[in-house]
Amino acid sequence: MAEERKPRTLATKAAASIPKFVRGNLAATLKAKEEGKKVADAYINDGQDEIIRAMDIVPAWGESFAGVCAAKREAEQYLRKAEADNFSRSLCTYATCTIGFDMWREELGGEMPPKAPWGGMGRPDMIIGSAQQLCDPRFKWPQATQHYLQDVPVYVGGMYYPQWDPNVDHHEQEEIYVKYARAELMELVRFCEKHTGKKMDWDRLSELVNLTEKTWDIFIDAYELRRAIPTPMDTGDAMNTMVPLTFNLATQEAYDFYKALYDELTEKIKNKQGVAENEKYRIVWGAGLPSWFALGDFHYFNEKGAVFPVEVTYRNCEKIERLDLPPTNDPLERIARRWVRMWTYWYDAARKRKGSIPKVERIISYIEEYKCDGVVFHSAFSCRSWHAGIVHQAQVLKKVYGDIPILIMEGDIVDISSYNEADTHNRIDAFIEALDAYKKRSQ
Amino acid sequence: MTNFGNGSSLTVADKYYSQYGLRARELKGSGKKIIGYLSVLGPIEILTAAGVVPFRLKGNVSEAITKGDAYMETIICPFVRNVFDAAIKGKFDFLEGMVLPHQCDSIDRTDDVWANNLQLPYWHYLNVPHVTDDPSIEFMKDILRLLIRSLEKLTGKKITDDDIAQAVKAHNENRQLMRDLYVLRKSNPPMISGTEMMKVLVAAMSLPVDESSALIKSVTEEVKARPMPANGKVPRIMLIGDQIDDVAIIDAIEGAGAHLVMDDLSIGSKMYWTDVDATPDPIQGIAERYLRKLKIPTTFVGDGNTYQENLEARFGHMKQFIKEFKVDGAILFIYKYCDPYGFDVPAMKSFIESGGTPVLYLEDEYSTSTLARVKTRIEAFLEMIA
Ligand code: SF4
Ligand code: SF4
Repeated sequence: MAEERKPRTLATKAAASIPKFVRGNLAATLKAKEEGKKVADAYINDGQDEIIRAMDIVPAWGESFAGVCAAKREAEQYLRKAEADNFSRSLCTYATCTIGFDMWREELGGEMPPKAPWGGMGRPDMIIGSAQQLCDPRFKWPQATQHYLQDVPVYVGGMYYPQWDPNVDHHEQEEIYVKYARAELMELVRFCEKHTGKKMDWDRLSELVNLTEKTWDIFIDAYELRRAIPTPMDTGDAMNTMVPLTFNLATQEAYDFYKALYDELTEKIKNKQGVAENEKYRIVWGAGLPSWFALGDFHYFNEKGAVFPVEVTYRNCEKIERLDLPPTNDPLERIARRWVRMWTYWYDAARKRKGSIPKVERIISYIEEYKCDGVVFHSAFSCRSWHAGIVHQAQVLKKVYGDIPILIMEGDIVDISSYNEADTHNRIDAFIEALDAYKKRSQ
Repeated sequence: MTNFGNGSSLTVADKYYSQYGLRARELKGSGKKIIGYLSVLGPIEILTAAGVVPFRLKGNVSEAITKGDAYMETIICPFVRNVFDAAIKGKFDFLEGMVLPHQCDSIDRTDDVWANNLQLPYWHYLNVPHVTDDPSIEFMKDILRLLIRSLEKLTGKKITDDDIAQAVKAHNENRQLMRDLYVLRKSNPPMISGTEMMKVLVAAMSLPVDESSALIKSVTEEVKARPMPANGKVPRIMLIGDQIDDVAIIDAIEGAGAHLVMDDLSIGSKMYWTDVDATPDPIQGIAERYLRKLKIPTTFVGDGNTYQENLEARFGHMKQFIKEFKVDGAILFIYKYCDPYGFDVPAMKSFIESGGTPVLYLEDEYSTSTLARVKTRIEAFLEMIA
């Protein structure tokens, strides 16, 4: 029996409203049939949101579902189910947790497996994956799911960006990537048209692209308010407030959410309301998805006077004007170029500092803009995408920027067997001491 | 060209296998540029056309990782970590540079780690897509052209269409010669053992294409001239996996009384089974081979009309191998932390089993430290299918 845990104290009202979004997204997959809508398994940050929404397809987010399972400490039963059919425990646990759930739901003839969090997730009518640099599971997971849902069609499109190379000017290669990403988005439109029986409404798509760009902007505006001292919101909340950007992009609700967050944070700053009672240390969450079953660790940091005014994780967007997008009326090109530029946004800065890399430039800029004293990374064993290369980031950061305190925590996103609370807290204590010494040295 | 002398080609293969990189080091000494690559997606035709020597990197399963862990997380594919460890220890100090194709997260996400820490004069990341539709072929051609431009910069020499066509021809011949050698595994018992074959495969990937072809040809002749071994009733095994490049696992299979008669490995049949079509624009044929003809789990295949069609397109060739090479059992040997192969296991296993061939799935490290456990599982499997 999973232990009942007290929910983490949230600093913002906005974060407290997030379960409504998550539940709403799951419920939408269950309600879709009544509403005559199609459901598609979808994966975050694939640049496909506007198309999916414009076609009135309801996305079913395995990454969200698995995160909920983990937070409720109900993931193990699904992980075991997948493992019983030879999915290794070393694979992405978002994928194996969701596949285990899918397998079980099929065995039950479509009924939800026992203890399915929040009513479970509906059976998809299609699966929309993406092959790109983000991760292998984005195209292997759809394929593996189809093994159990054999009648469900799968589309996997490509969306790539130039890999970082200090000796190559990525701007010169951009057109190749935009042209390709655009063509693949067009293939997705055709796939959706085929499987919904509807035609794309291109005007609606353009409106949703506008709305998405507006949402990226208000998201960054709101998040940049966290530069304030004391910070009105930290990463513990951001692991919740990322939900509309990540899972509800291209909806009015997502935009409204960040507008409300903006207003709330402005108010808090006016009242000098911080996350920690006595803010002493400011830390960048440098990389890594969190352990969803141990979000309480952010609170542990806060109790020690440590806050995270900024994080790299789930901040996969940029202020549109900074991306300097050339004007075009083609919504697919706008989507393609926006993502290519987002993924390569830190390249120019990295090229200016010898030995640096874009991911480190981003961290340096956050350290400076958010006045941080240290960096924490989380290394989740089952996801190479965000977590391979963290050691390198830490080494490059020390080399090009200086001896700032760094903590690399180890664990997983879903698999609780990797986690030891006492050890984690001991490591945090030691890190806080290092931060303290660093602050004293630099004063 | 290397002179193998009388009946010594298997010994030469053994030498290049045991002293991996020996010939590359010699060639470097004579002024050749050696470019390393890591996987079956290594663009060997283009490298050959550029006048550099493609050299596929391997690690050493008997050597513990001693330096690499300071740079690379243990959640990365054990093969990649082991090779990186060898590289950082200076085992490949003859390399002028590397081409790292986008194959999987373990390679993609460590590109920086390799490039920044090895600091080789030449580095190129080849952004191979995972999908195979028409826009992907166009994209693949574009990124191959980027590679060509960067190699031209390295060598100071233009790479013409004719250079590429010649290289394609040489590599197609090389692949045909290797397939001819594979034919000798069809007899019962096979004319060449799995261990010998592994050594030839490894030696071949360390040599310039003409030397590799000469060696393979000579091995085939030598093997054909040997007295045919006595007919035996031992299980015939096929080994499936990515870069298995050491005899340890094969010794474990053959030492337990089986013959390894076929493989679906990325240094084996995956590499040699399909040719590049000679197309008017030679890049077209190369793009098509790497995206559409290579059967690897990092290429997404899924546009069949039914799931069964998708399975046939992904794994059908394995059933063909089973038939042609009279395979009694298949061993899937998958490295831990490998998402591309790992997610394929249930589908691949049930597909092969549906044809009546038993499958043993092993997930393991790129290391002999776990060999005893693996051996026990293999022995039990062989007993079961005997
Ligand atoms: S990014 Fe990581 S956690 Fe997310 S789906 Fe990919 S491998 Fe899994
Ligand atoms: S074994 Fe898997 S993870 Fe390792 S290099 Fe090959 S495809 Fe990548």
